[in-house]
Amino acid sequence: MAIAALGLVSVFGAGCEEQTPVALDDEALPGAPISVTVLIPWSEFASNLEVFGGYGSAEDIGRGVLAEDFAGTLDARTLMRIGSYPRVATVQDTTGASRPDSTLTIFGGRFVAFFDTIESTNAAPVTLALGATSEEWDETTASWDFAVDTINDQRPWTEPGGGPVVPVAQAVWDPAAGDTVVFALDSAQVAAWADTTDLSVGARIDILDTGERLALRRALVRLDARPSSNPDTIIELSAVTRGSTFIYSPFPQPPPDGVRIGGAPSWRTILDVGIPAIIDGIPDFCAVVSCPHTLTPGEISYAALVLTSRATEAAFQPTDSIRLDVRPVLNRAAMPKSPLGTSLIVSPFGRSVGPDAFGSAPGFEIEIPFTGFARDRLRGTDASGNPTPETLALLSVVEPFSITFASFEGPQSAGEPYLKLVLTIGPPVELP
Amino acid sequence: MTTFSTTTTRVAAAALLMLGVGALPAHAQSLFNAAGLGTPVEALDGRARAMGSVGIGLAGRSMMPTDPGALARLGISTGVMAASPSWVDYSEVGNRSGSFQGNRFPLMGIGYPVLGGMASIQIGSFLDQSYEVTRIGETDLGDGPVRTSDAFVQDGAVSNLNLGFARALGERYSAGLTIGRYAGSLDRTLERTYGDETDAANVDTYIESGVWSWTGWSLTAGGSADLENVRVAASVQIPTQLTGTASQETRGSDRSFSLPVQYRIGATASVGPSVLVHGSAVLADWSDTQGALNAGFAGSGSGFGLGVELSRARLLGKDAPLRFGFRRVGLPFAFEDEAITERTFSGGFGLVLNETAGIVLAGLDLSIERGLRSSANLTENFWRATLSLLTSGF
Repeated sequence: MAIAALGLVSVFGAGCEEQTPVALDDEALPGAPISVTVLIPWSEFASNLEVFGGYGSAEDIGRGVLAEDFAGTLDARTLMRIGSYPRVATVQDTTGASRPDSTLTIFGGRFVAFFDTIESTNAAPVTLALGATSEEWDETTASWDFAVDTINDQRPWTEPGGGPVVPVAQAVWDPAAGDTVVFALDSAQVAAWADTTDLSVGARIDILDTGERLALRRALVRLDARPSSNPDTIIELSAVTRGSTFIYSPFPQPPPDGVRIGGAPSWRTILDVGIPAIIDGIPDFCAVVSCPHTLTPGEISYAALVLTSRATEAAFQPTDSIRLDVRPVLNRAAMPKSPLGTSLIVSPFGRSVGPDAFGSAPGFEIEIPFTGFARDRLRGTDASGNPTPETLALLSVVEPFSITFASFEGPQSAGEPYLKLVLTIGPPVELP
Repeated sequence: MTTFSTTTTRVAAAALLMLGVGALPAHAQSLFNAAGLGTPVEALDGRARAMGSVGIGLAGRSMMPTDPGALARLGISTGVMAASPSWVDYSEVGNRSGSFQGNRFPLMGIGYPVLGGMASIQIGSFLDQSYEVTRIGETDLGDGPVRTSDAFVQDGAVSNLNLGFARALGERYSAGLTIGRYAGSLDRTLERTYGDETDAANVDTYIESGVWSWTGWSLTAGGSADLENVRVAASVQIPTQLTGTASQETRGSDRSFSLPVQYRIGATASVGPSVLVHGSAVLADWSDTQGALNAGFAGSGSGFGLGVELSRARLLGKDAPLRFGFRRVGLPFAFEDEAITERTFSGGFGLVLNETAGIVLAGLDLSIERGLRSSANLTENFWRATLSLLTSGF
């Protein structure tokens, strides 16, 4: 009997999967919401646009730039320190056995540089010069005019552009032949670069041909050495470079009427944003929604700042995609040092914009979505109840990322930024 | 034997409890839930279902809020619990068809002798309101057409909590009074999503929702008389308005709905050795509810039921009375201005699990119904099972 009762209940239990019935027609739906796109001009949602520069250092990129009168203006040179030479190598001795040898005689070498063939502008061979720096310089703060530019220590180069250098070698780089260029080093120069404690020791690479801008990915020193355990053998060792930076001139001035993002050191553009609480006077909107309409956060289905690209100064035009980010500024009064909030863009890679938008095809509209921020801004607080910052910063996802930067039209121009809102507005759900 | 029976009772009670706990959400059992205030769910046990009853006038022991007078006949402390899964096939004229299933717990109650009578607490279902519907559309957000999907989900029910007292008036008569409190909630949520599954647009989902709490009162008075070979019972349920109170976050408004006075009458007669014949009817005019409805039509919830019980049947050495019935009851809410009825043929049996000195301490009642609900455009054929456990003497 007990088994029978349990079996009966089990049958009931097996048949108890819950399935909500799906009504057959739209009559069972409450009123349909309306979806409408609203474009809000700059003057009605934003103000106080300001451009700040100086974020990060060219050293942070870890790559170099070479230019000589590029676009009629830009000169750029790359400075780098030479790392410690290897002191021990495993070599075969005269008996053929492999063993460590710490008594190496370095008698020559080569300086090998690797270029980015895509980002570099030249298609033809260019002549490069390698020199040895002769003045103390600081890789983090060095600029075209200053060898050291830290607090309480500002030392200009005796010659702007990296000071006088001791010429080491010249070489020709033909991008059609590969991405590598090799400078021959004599034993004296190899010995001179072995001192890693002297702050004046370093290498400088210049481009001698005009009108091109080269992107240097990395460089190293190949050393020719003779081991004591097998003097008849020549081995090759590598010393990496460290502290690579680039200096350039002229340094761009902040745009008086536009938006700038990127560069090295990086530029940021900040602006105050307010989401209009009442929508009125927009014919397309008022044709479908009773105006004036008081906007609620839940009605914002999509919000984006729309920027119109414009041509960047030729010397700093991007040759690769720029990745844009937008973050709330937590304390505008503390700018340019205000901390920023987390990114408002879902993708960790930011909003990618092709280089043509800032060169050959300006006028391209780019949407930078910030729907969640717009809702919080309208509500006045975020999900945690904290006040929502009213200032946004437009910046590069990685700072700095390149000497190039993105430029956009500013307020009061034909392509001024505007706010794009997709609103979904529906009647309240009522009882049947 | 007594030990075996006691064990059986405990096992059955535990199993029924497990069943209840395992499927607690009481979901929908009809597409007509989308009409008006939903579909009535009567608080009936397995015996009443099997005999086609509307919940009144059954001979023997019963504990249903629709028959307050019968409580006085229980005599000893009694508890009841019922589970009722159903399997529904539907078809729409010239359109789609399909099936769904669900479970509900229409009745739980306990009665205890006090002050020379029987006091009771019962929780019963009243209106089933859950359903969902999706509408696919298209809108232009400025960059060309974008697919929209409006998904609406209504989840909720109205139930009632009843406190009752009944007392025997002499050998033949009894009377009872039950005060009921309507409770439950209704959650209605509309979500609009943009783009299709493969191209989820970066436009966020729009959500508009509301939650209402149901409140209201009812008073049910009834009496029964045990005449020679016949038990007759009648009751009247007088409700206040059913009020839906919106939560603080709900933009929608509060609303109140008129509920009908419901009259019930039923009788069971012994027409031969171990043969009982039962008939019952309910009169409920829901048309006054129409005025407060935004959608749907309100009509009659009246109906009747007929049944027979053959009490000499046995199963596994136990008394297992066989029951058969027919029922025809109107559904109060419809999509169109038309009358919709639910018709069922039913069968079932009872099983005495434990009996001492002629008092059934534990018993199961099972019914299986085959039914039909139909309107001009929609037909539902369904199987519904009801299993109830009645225990006494705890």
